[in-house]
Order: sequence, then C-alpha cells, then structure tokens
Amino acid sequence: MLRRTTLKLTAAFTAASLLPFGAFAEMPAAVDKPITITFYNYNLASASAGADATKELIAGFEKKFPNIKVEPVAVPSNEIMSRVQADIVAGQQPDVAQLVFRDLIYIANDLGANALEDMVSADELKTHFTGMLPQGLELGKVDGKTYGLAYTFSTPILYYNADLFKQAGLDPDQAPKTWDDVALAGKAIKDKTGKNGFFPGAYGPVDGTFVYQAIVMSNGGKVRDGDTLTFAGSNAADAVKMLREMVDSGAHAKIDPASAGDTFAAGNMGMFLYTSALLSSIKKSAAGKFDLRLAPMPSFGEKPTAPTNSGSALFVFSQDPEKQRASYELLKYLTSKEAYTIITSKIGYLPLRLDIVDDPAYLGQWVKDNPMFRANLKQLDHLTANIAFPGPNYRQVEKMMMDSVREAIFGSGDPVATLKAAQEQGQELMP
Amino acid sequence: MTTDTSRDHSPSGVSSGSGALRKVAVHGVMIFLSLVSIFPIYWMIVTSLRPENEIFSTTLWPSDPTLENYVFVLTRVPMLQMLANTTIVAAATAALQVVTGLFAAYALVRWRMRLAGVVHGLIALSWLVPFQVTMIPNYVLASRLGLLDTLTGLIVPNAAHAFAILLLYHGMRSFPVEILEAARIDGAKSWKILWQIITPNMGAPIASLSIIAFISAWNEYFWPLLLSRKPENSVVQIGLQMFMTQEGNLWGPLMAAAALASLPILVIYLLLQRHVIESFMKSGIR
Amino acid sequence: MTDIQADLAGPLVKTAPVARIRYQREKISIAPWIYLAPALVLLMVWTYIPLIEAFKLSFYQWNMLPTAPQRYVGLKNYERLLALPEMRNALWNTLYYILGLFPLSVILPLFVAIWTQDLTGRARMIYRAMIFVPMIVAPVVAAILWRWLLNEDQGLITLGLEWLGFDRIGFLTDPNYALATLTWITGWKLIGFSTLLFSAANAGINPSYIEAARIDGASRWAIIRDIRLPLLSPTILLLSMMTILFGAQWSFAYINVLTNGGPLKSTTNIFYLLWEYGFETMSAGWSSAAGMIAFAGFALLAAVCMGLTKRFAVYDD
Repeated sequence: MLRRTTLKLTAAFTAASLLPFGAFAEMPAAVDKPITITFYNYNLASASAGADATKELIAGFEKKFPNIKVEPVAVPSNEIMSRVQADIVAGQQPDVAQLVFRDLIYIANDLGANALEDMVSADELKTHFTGMLPQGLELGKVDGKTYGLAYTFSTPILYYNADLFKQAGLDPDQAPKTWDDVALAGKAIKDKTGKNGFFPGAYGPVDGTFVYQAIVMSNGGKVRDGDTLTFAGSNAADAVKMLREMVDSGAHAKIDPASAGDTFAAGNMGMFLYTSALLSSIKKSAAGKFDLRLAPMPSFGEKPTAPTNSGSALFVFSQDPEKQRASYELLKYLTSKEAYTIITSKIGYLPLRLDIVDDPAYLGQWVKDNPMFRANLKQLDHLTANIAFPGPNYRQVEKMMMDSVREAIFGSGDPVATLKAAQEQGQELMP
Repeated sequence: MTTDTSRDHSPSGVSSGSGALRKVAVHGVMIFLSLVSIFPIYWMIVTSLRPENEIFSTTLWPSDPTLENYVFVLTRVPMLQMLANTTIVAAATAALQVVTGLFAAYALVRWRMRLAGVVHGLIALSWLVPFQVTMIPNYVLASRLGLLDTLTGLIVPNAAHAFAILLLYHGMRSFPVEILEAARIDGAKSWKILWQIITPNMGAPIASLSIIAFISAWNEYFWPLLLSRKPENSVVQIGLQMFMTQEGNLWGPLMAAAALASLPILVIYLLLQRHVIESFMKSGIR
Repeated sequence: MTDIQADLAGPLVKTAPVARIRYQREKISIAPWIYLAPALVLLMVWTYIPLIEAFKLSFYQWNMLPTAPQRYVGLKNYERLLALPEMRNALWNTLYYILGLFPLSVILPLFVAIWTQDLTGRARMIYRAMIFVPMIVAPVVAAILWRWLLNEDQGLITLGLEWLGFDRIGFLTDPNYALATLTWITGWKLIGFSTLLFSAANAGINPSYIEAARIDGASRWAIIRDIRLPLLSPTILLLSMMTILFGAQWSFAYINVLTNGGPLKSTTNIFYLLWEYGFETMSAGWSSAAGMIAFAGFALLAAVCMGLTKRFAVYDD
C-alpha cells in the first residue's frame, strides 16, 4: 500500500517538476479568497511559553489576514522532521513547517521545500529582508538560495553558579573567558565543593550538534568541508581532546546528558554551556536558590568564538500558488518586528532584527529589564552557521559523528583514533 | 487453600517460635516488595505537590504543599479533554478486542475448518510482528483513510489482537461440548449459541481481557504520538510528553500530569481490585 | 494462558477429539469465515500487509521519499547489517535484556508466591494490590519516575546510597550500569503481575496432593520440589516464554525515553535499532531488514519454546 501511494505521488511530483520554474512567479499578489494552510510547529507541542507565544502569533496573523486560516499541526521537535516526511509520503502536502537546521540540506534537496527566491519576486523579498541580520539570513541558505527563513534560534551561552564559584574560592565577577579558565574553575569546583564543575549540552539526544560544532569551530575546526568529513581534522580533534582532558581531570562532569539542565538548575553544577533559550526556565529554578550568572561562550585563547545557531527556520512546501502566497504572508508575519518582539521577550530566542533591540516600541523596555540577555545579543556579531550534512544518509553520518565524539570524550580509547575511525566509516555514506 | 497450605510448611511439628519468626520474615519481604512497587508512585505525587523552586527537595513530604503544578497543567494543556479521549479510546479498544476475539475464537472452536491450523498460526504470529515495522505504513494508510488526528485512528488498528483471540479461544475450549451439542440439536442458530450460551459463561476471561486491553490502550504512547496533530484530539500520554520540552523537562507539571494520567486508572483498579485479581485467577491465565 | 503456548502451535495437536468427531458431519461452511472476518481483516490490513511491504523493502535502498527512487540491492541490506558492529552489539544487548529479566519476571515472583502462600485475608489482599500497581503504570510514566529517582546528583536513590556510604553510581550514564538499570525498570513492572499468576496457580494446586505427601512425612522443601514446582511448571514456562519473546520489546519504551540507546550504545537493542534506522536516519531498507531479522528470530524462538513447553510442562489433567 505504501508502494501504491508512492507511485501515485511520484507521478504527481514528476508532473510538478516538469512545470517550468517560472510557475512560481504566478503566485498572486494577495490572497483574495478564503484559504487554509497547515503550519507544522514544535513549540505548540510543548506546554512551555513557546506554545503561548506561537498561539498569540497565529491569532495575530489570522486577524491581519482574515482570509487565511492557519491549521497548526503540533509535533514534538525530535519527531517533526519525520512527520513532515511521512505526510508527504501519505499525500498530505504540508504548507509551512518549522524545522531544525540540521536537516537543512535534505529539506532543500530531497523534501522539496521552495526556495524563497524562486517563489517571491526579488523586490518583494528585498523589502522584507531589509533590517534583518545578514548572518541570520545566511543560516537558512543552501547553494545561495534561501530555503529556510531563520525563525526561532539561539546560540550557546555559559550559565554559571556564582555561589559555587565563591565556595570554590573563585571570583564570581570574573566570568571564565577561555577554555583554560573553564578547566581551572571546573577543577576547583569539583575538588572544593564536590559538585560538578562543567558540562556542555553537546551530547544529548535533543540538542543536535550545535554546541559541539560551536566548540569545534571556535578552535578553527569544521565538521565537514564540501563532501569530505573533517571532524577528525587537527583543530576539530584538538577541541575534543581538550574536553576529554577536562573529563580526565574531573573538571568536566560525567552525567546524563539528558538531565544536565536539571543538574545545573538544582544547583549541583558550576558551569553549563547550552542554548540561551533555556534562560527563563533556569532562572525560575534558580530563584531563591543560587546566584545565576551568564557569560558568552568560552574561547580558545585569543581565537574568536564561533557561536553556532540552534533552533529552527521556517520552510514553505506549498505547491499551489494561492497557498504559496498565504504561506509567504505567514513567513513574513512570523519574522516581522512585532513577531520578533514576542519571540524574544516571551520565549527567549534571539531577534533576527537588531534594530528592534533598543527601540522602545519593541524590545527596548524588555532588554532594559533583562540585562542578562545582553551577553546573548553580543554573540550575534560572530554568529556562525551550523553545518548540516548532505546526501541521503546525512542523519546516519551525523549520528556516527556524535557517537564517536561521545566515545572520544567519555570512553577510554584514544580520542583522535576514535574520531578518525568514525570519519572513515562515515565518509562512505557521504555523497 | 489457606487451611491446607498453612499446614504443609510444618510437617513434623516445628516449634511455634520459628513459625512466628517465619511470619515476620514473610511480612518483611512483602512489605519491602510493596514499598519498591509503590514508592515511585508516592514520590510522583509528592513531587507534583512541591513548589517550583523546591522541586529538587528530598523531604518525604513537601514543607509547603501546593496545587500550582496541577493548575498549570490544567490551564496549559487540555488535560480533561485528553482524559475523556483516552477513556473513549481505551474502552472502545477493549470492547472491540473482546468482540473480535469472541467471534474469531468461536469460529475456531465451533467449526472444524480445513485451514484452521494456518489461521491459528497467522493469528499467533501476528503477535510477534514488531510494531516499529508496521508503524509508518500504518500511518500512510490511516492518512489515506482520513483517520489522522481522530480517535477512530487510535482505536481501529488495535481492534483485534492475537492475545485476545487466543485467551478467549482457550476459555471457550474448556466449555462443555455437550451443552453446545444440545443447543445445536435444539436448532439454536450459531450466533445465538455464542451470545446466549457461551458468552455469559465467559465472564472471567472476558473481564481479564478487558482489563488488560484497557490498561494497554490507556498506556499506549508511540502510535498516538505519531497520529496526534492537535493536543485536544489526543490522549493523556501525549499530554505528558508536552511537559518534556526542548528547553528541558518541567518536572513539577510533568509529575502532576503523570499523576493525572495515572490516577483514574489507579482509582478504578483500587475500587475493583478484588474482582480484577479474582478474574485473573479464574480466567485461565495461569 | 498456559494453553496459549499450546495454542500458538495450532489446534492440530491438542484439539479435543470428541468435538472433532461430532462436528465432522458438517461440510465446508462459510459461517466460520464470517466470524473470523473482523479479526482476520484487521490483522491483515494493519499487521500483515505492512509486514509484507517491509519484507519487500528489506531488499531495497530507499530513504522513504516519494521523490527518491527505490533501488533494488538484493541481500546487501542484510549483509551490511549483520557485518555492522552496532547490530552485533544490539543483538547481545537483546539477549542481556531477556536473561536479565528472568530473575524479575520468573524467579523472584515464583519464590515470593510459594513463600507467602500461607498469608491470609486482608494482609494478602493489600500486598497483592500493591505489588500489582507497577503493572498499570504507563511505561512513559515509569520511565520518568525512575529517571527522577536515579538522577546522579539529586535523585533520591543516589542520596540514599550516599547516606549508606556508597559512591555515586551513574545508573543511566555509566555504560557498565545503564543496561542493568533499564532491565530493572522493565522488570519492576512485571514482578507484581508474575507473582499474581504464580499465586493463582499455586492456590489452584489440589490440596490432596500436599496432604498425601505430608502424611508420607515429606519435608517442606520436598513438597515444593516434588509437587509444587512440577505443577507450577506450565506457569513457569509460560512466563519464561513471555519473557523471551517480549522482554526486549517491553524495554523499548524505556530505551526510547531514557537513554536513546546510549551511553556509548550500551543500551540499544534490536527493536531500538530498527526504530532508529526507520525514524531517525530514515533508511527504510535497513530498518525493514532489521525488522525482518527480529521477526524471524523471535518466530524461531517461539517455535523452540513451544517445543520445550510440550515436552516439559506437567499438567494436572
């Protein structure tokens, strides 16, 4: 039965792909009759602040465009990609989807997402992109075309527990700046307080690869170069070796990666490197318990850091020109100044439009009330795009890489040899 | 049972002193096992009553119990709707499994069929098919039948189960053939025999099957997770999942949601537990 | 359900001969098929057709996309899987789950049922009610509760161990413990159910056997060994078979929620592996091939188990 559907769909797709690309240009200028589009969203699948903010955004959009009805499909973030795929297989063409960056290339090349440049006229696109952070726009590009429009995204940030710093005889006002600082502070905390020193949210099931990539790229490494895997290359491997040394010295904790956030929130960890999106929830648990501080992610000596984006972009899959227009209007609305004000202040993601940060009409007051957020905004200057893997086996390659990183850092073998072996194995699955 | 078994452990008149000691030990073991069984549940309820900044506390009872986590759960997630949905899904699944199971078992007991062995084998083997293999094709089928995001879609794929058929088949086989024969000679139609003679006598197996089917449908997680598109059309296990967020687990609300998802079934069990256990003992599951 | 095992083998062996002869005069009839239809149609549509589809896909390479071609690769998927260290590791772990569950699903419950048989009245009711509770707790809830209790820094069990003077144990993070931890959580849900079945079977033993043995001067242990254990053998075999056939599958939810197969792949099993191929890495071919290996393997095991059951179970007919 799967096969029959498949055949039917393959036929439909072939027909669609035979149309000239100019077909995109037929997108009408406005939606003048009632239309319904689906919006696959993972914020809605959790009971967090993200769900409320998303509902608010959708309601605002439907008010502004009474003709367009948005039908939300709520799917948890680690399932959303396979759901979009399953629905395409099942013949339920999604319209707009919030998907994570790790799947970027696959979404663009295999899943049939529309490039905005093919769908929207250059002028119209330019108007909307004005005021947006250029590094932010880069995040969703494949081969120079914008497939994903960065939506909710954030970068790794160093949370630290000032009380544990004091107990360990460290100065909490001197935030660790380099990895050497982190190693020293971590060791001191472990030795003097018995609590965990440091842990990055880089090994878990939900974080993808962005924290790991941020560390690697801060050391001048890269996980791949074109179609060649390079995560065992010298700079990348040195970064991993540095983490391994911290594990061996005790500065880097050995805990359940899935509950590292809880360990930090419970006051049992000195430093935690993870997405800034966790800020509001950590702040709540820390209230009245310990003195929570924030710092930009640590650097390798004098080298600049490469904070990498986590989070999601918006993709359009609509085939029908009317729906394309409606979907594009939704995209525009969700990345507008108003929307980013809500997204930043209510969920805690970064704004893609920096001009709203000090504008009292938008984020001005909120940023004044939340000075801690500045550490996060500062990193936007050198925002570095997360590197997704290409080819049909990209998920397997990514998994092999992360498995080997975990093995290199927590295992007992030689870290570089472990990475090398995985790199060779993974290379076979690259296009 | 109690009278004879209480004797067989002291065959040659072991002193009553050691008997008392044994009794203490027996109670000790059972109390320990009971604690291991219910302590996690107790801890779930205690944690759900803790305020947010005390969530990691380890006191046996919260110093300042609060219902704020429950309020949070009930306002953030359509939990009551989900509980209603889950009840419908679990009850319908159990009922359908009983009906399809009775029919199939009856066919196998009542008639002598040439392909009985094959049919039997197919039914039994279906139990061993890993659900991970059938999930995606079933999703595609459910989607084509318009069952996405519906309760029907959660019920229908589980409406027949090998366990149900085999359990009822076994129960029916021990039914005296003479009575069936007599009914047949009296000219009773086959469905009449099933409904009026067999089914009323199958109380225990039907009860235990319903209980097991209800519990497992209530606890089903992976299929609803795949099928659900809107929280209000989904079931409680998905409600739980909503508190395990990208931004970390919201432990207080998660525990409150887990308590809400488990309490109905726990209460039903406690009210009926004597019958539940008796029906298991009589059902032939042994 | 004792006879469910026998039933699995089909009615060819154990059908009551009387009934057979009586029904023989009935010629081929359509009626049984009408009664069978609902169940068979449902099983066909939702289980067997997907299974056949998976069987076919196991010879193809495909990333589940309608736009991508399905490429026929013959037995390559199987060859590749069986050569993969990950697969061997998963198969060993599957075996570990099954063997590790035995003490919790068979041995301990058997011991408890026999040992506590002379408990009476209210106390027995209360104990039974309590140890049955884990059985009705949803696997997802159980997973969450145990993660909470076992957390390495603020979990109650960790603190308890510390209080007793032991070191911290990375129950879910140390590859040496994680597999045992997941096995325990899976088993935790089974103890009560198994105990209940054993108690029921034990209570059903005809008292006159015990009485006779007692009069002959048999010791308590001799009664257990020579009368109770043989008569409990159908239940022992049934629960053993359930553990063998479904133990690894029962642990799936905990792997999925708690460890995702880690740390360092130490907790993955065959069902989790095929799930990962299917849902995480979207390799329909690998996933289907792993599924077929699991299905065929457990079907074979089922056949062996039933053979053993027929040989060793003692029925008090």
